[in-house]
Amino acid sequence: MSANIDHLKEEHHQPSGLMRWITTTNHKDIGSLYLWFSLLMFFVGGLMALVIRAELFQPGLQFVVPGFFNQMTTMHALIMIFGAVMPAFVGLANWQLPMMIGAPDMALPRLNNWSFWILPFAFTMLLSTLFFESGGPAAGWTLYPPLSLQGGNSMPFVIFSLHLLGASSILGAINVIATILNMRAPGMTLMKMPIFVWTWLITAFLLIASMPVLAGAITMLLTDRFYGTSFFTAAGGGDPVLFQHIFWFFGHPEVYILILPAFGIVSTIIPAFSRKKLFGYDSMVYATASIALLSFIVWAHHMFTVGMPLAGEIFFMFTTMLIAVPTGVKVFNWVATMWKGSMTFETPMLFALAFIILFTIGGFSGLMLAITPADFQYHDTYFVVAHFHYVLVPGAVFAIIAAVYYWLPKWTGKMYNETLGKIHFWMTTIFVNITFFPMHFVGLAGMPRRIPDYAVQFTDFNMIASVGAFGFGLSQLLFVYILFLTLRQPVTAADKSWEGAEGLEWTLPSPAPYHSFDTPPKVD
Amino acid sequence: MNRLSILIVSMLVPLTTLADWEVNMPRGVSPTANAAYDLHMLIFYITVVIGIVVFGVMFYSIYHHRKSKGAKPASFHESTTVEVIWTVIPFVILVGMAIPATKTLIMMEDTRNSEITVKVTGYQWMWKYDYVEDDVSFFSKLADSSNEARQLGSKIDVNKVDNYLLNVDNEMVLPTNTKVRILLTASDVIHAWWVPEITGKKDAIPGYINELWVDIKEPGVYRGQCTELCGKDHGFMPIVVRAVPKEEYTKWVSLNQKNRVADKSK
Amino acid sequence: MTGIKSTITKLSLAVVAMYGFSYALVPIYDTFCEITGLNGKTNEVAYVANDIKEDNRFVTVKFISNVANSAPLYFEPSVSEMTVQVGKPYNTHYVMKNNSSKQLHTTASPSVTPGKHAEYFKKIECFCFNQQTINAGEVKDLGIQFIIDNELPNDSGDIVLSYTMFDISNNIKETNKL
Ligand code: HEM
Ligand SMILES: [Cu+2]
Ligand SMILES: [Cu+2]
Repeated sequence: MSANIDHLKEEHHQPSGLMRWITTTNHKDIGSLYLWFSLLMFFVGGLMALVIRAELFQPGLQFVVPGFFNQMTTMHALIMIFGAVMPAFVGLANWQLPMMIGAPDMALPRLNNWSFWILPFAFTMLLSTLFFESGGPAAGWTLYPPLSLQGGNSMPFVIFSLHLLGASSILGAINVIATILNMRAPGMTLMKMPIFVWTWLITAFLLIASMPVLAGAITMLLTDRFYGTSFFTAAGGGDPVLFQHIFWFFGHPEVYILILPAFGIVSTIIPAFSRKKLFGYDSMVYATASIALLSFIVWAHHMFTVGMPLAGEIFFMFTTMLIAVPTGVKVFNWVATMWKGSMTFETPMLFALAFIILFTIGGFSGLMLAITPADFQYHDTYFVVAHFHYVLVPGAVFAIIAAVYYWLPKWTGKMYNETLGKIHFWMTTIFVNITFFPMHFVGLAGMPRRIPDYAVQFTDFNMIASVGAFGFGLSQLLFVYILFLTLRQPVTAADKSWEGAEGLEWTLPSPAPYHSFDTPPKVD
Repeated sequence: MNRLSILIVSMLVPLTTLADWEVNMPRGVSPTANAAYDLHMLIFYITVVIGIVVFGVMFYSIYHHRKSKGAKPASFHESTTVEVIWTVIPFVILVGMAIPATKTLIMMEDTRNSEITVKVTGYQWMWKYDYVEDDVSFFSKLADSSNEARQLGSKIDVNKVDNYLLNVDNEMVLPTNTKVRILLTASDVIHAWWVPEITGKKDAIPGYINELWVDIKEPGVYRGQCTELCGKDHGFMPIVVRAVPKEEYTKWVSLNQKNRVADKSK
Repeated sequence: MTGIKSTITKLSLAVVAMYGFSYALVPIYDTFCEITGLNGKTNEVAYVANDIKEDNRFVTVKFISNVANSAPLYFEPSVSEMTVQVGKPYNTHYVMKNNSSKQLHTTASPSVTPGKHAEYFKKIECFCFNQQTINAGEVKDLGIQFIIDNELPNDSGDIVLSYTMFDISNNIKETNKL
């Protein structure tokens, strides 16, 4: 302990103030930067969602013109995916991976600095397109040509910023893999790694394999628009459907990039508050790996309606249904972990439990969507919007919030206010359901997605959803307030903040020292 | 305000009061739409049963195995047998779902033996219908009443507009009890043609042609919308199909037939 | 540290390979389309008839036309439907008229439905193999010669052949400028 404090003093030679953050190569500093940035983007993307929900409160156009509405849906998705959820996971990886595997820092600290600092530039560029005369991107986050080729001047800027984001993710992924493969404490074999480390390792491989494919797809879009190629235009022998194949070859692994680390978080928190070891560790690892592998052969389930040959439709239906098996295994293992445990329900646990239930509901609707003939009805309706929000908001986002509550005392040495945390949980959970559950109904009743205005029979559920959305937004202000209150306290948290918590990070003092483990701990 | 009160009430009382709110997929009027509906309900009920079992066990555990009730943690944490069981059982359930789904899919993709062919072309932002055998051809776009009302700041109460956003100037007319082959393509960007009660959707892609078939069993007016983002007025290019008995259809065709413009071969 | 270096090298190679793979998907997709008839793509170069045998089955071929982006073109098949004998070559043509006051360059994109039958529809000659130049007001006959492969499965129903005509004058102007 005292050795660590000495170490802290040593570190004070570094620049202070803003320069400290710009030049930092410390995994904890960078982790914090990622997390704060993600929170900011969460609110920016959230504001756009509120513009959308305000317009959809009633039929008829009240606030925005359709063109701007489309910019909002496109930007909202890009920001939430690339700006909020992915950076949050990278932030958590930065904070936790070295502590969990008993390393002093990430393997490539300088690279780590770059991969974060690319983000603010990329997002400034992306957001600035909203102020262009011809507006921001409006063809949906999926950027399907020929529509995306029609867009205004924003297109090259959007593509360039996506390239930057991709580069940042790839650098981050290389760093994660290099750290996990080379810097584990002696004795920590792969099959002894904490499950969060495992899920991140697999996620990093997904990033390496899928982000370059996105880069290729959008580069082809760019050359089609400006350099006379015709990858995607029928006039020159190209095919717009080809873009969809390439995009979803990236896109489906991408949706698992957005959820695998969340699986890792939940698999950490459930055992901690059940005071019982994770059930079926090995099968959790294998399930995660098989989900990742399967995610490369299911992509066309996002495009069942493009008119594939029958054999293709059947193939992609079967593979997609197959993904439900390892996903189910994960859920069953979580339930088995709780079974005959000794549970308590602090805020992280509440979020993790809500995750299991609500993510599973999203998985059920996913299974329904996988049934091709039924998907001909569901596709591109609000039913799909409900599906992916169930897996992404009470899925990915809940896991991130749970992780923050769970590790906050370790990061800061300060405990959040449990009562407020619980209020935050209940408000968030209630509003998330008020927002997204009715979307199943309007979707089934026939409301298409990506429309600024709708027929009057969809009014009631849309109103409910809009009320829920504003409630959800408000609840997150409470989250910020809780963080603010926590940070203002003096350091009082115990080294091991939770009775049932396991893992090397809890052997460190709270707050964790600047360099996590100078001498690698022994793991047996 | 009336809607607001509905809203508040609906949030306070259980779902039973929502009985006349649309919460489900409409039943169809064609073999394909009905098959999709049946599959939808089948899979839905299966997921409900799985959900009840899984969440049931989970809530039992949450209730009984809590520390505040004095529960002591057990120490088991793996069992190959149960892992195999809960891999195999879902797999078997999935096979049970895949069989009817595949059958339906094969049925839907079989466009043979259709009696008439209609080509549907998506434009930004309207549809064009060409009756291939009969030289009937027309554009179909959002009805003027809806179009005026939908403008930002129009001050028109959309609740008073006839079929707001789901009404067109020229309806597509189809005969009942007739297998119709619909060819889909587009002029500019990708659109998708969808009339839920008649058929699932399919993309209309510029430069390429797609097809689906419908066989409407009941006369009536069926409404749908474009379901692929196609630019700013994507939400404003509805589809209206009027299904009429065959004799009436034949009459409609002869009334709307025209000589093809500018003779080409001679 | 050598461990880290080799990890980085391998991963960087993987990134480059995956980027390359995205481009490789283009020809892979084309081949795939040709095999499976995905998207109803037909042969893009003239088919040289050699091993197709006549048989006594007849199928109906329907001809469809589209003009992309509402270009100022009239473009229609001369006959909307033909009943043809399998394995025998047939001729037909489309008619195109330039309704504008400028010379236009056009190109046609063919598509066959049901897509799985595209591979049996062989074009021996087709205007879609080349670009067209059409003067203001000019009317042109655009010929095709085709043959239905006798490998066509029985009971396959009608075949629809569709052409979409694109006005590519702007693209051509731009490439000339470069
Ligand atoms: C049991 C597992 C799952 C299955 C079977 C499944 C299936 C599907 C299917 C078939 C679609 C396409 C629906 C359509 O557009 O017609 C879809 C859409 C989507 N899914 Fe899932 N899904 C699953 C889990 C997930 C997870 C874990 C995530 C991410 C965390 C996710 C995110 C999405 C997103 C973002 C879309 C919409 C993409 C878009 O069109 O913009 N899904 N899912
Ligand atoms: Cu997917
Ligand atoms: Cu549309």
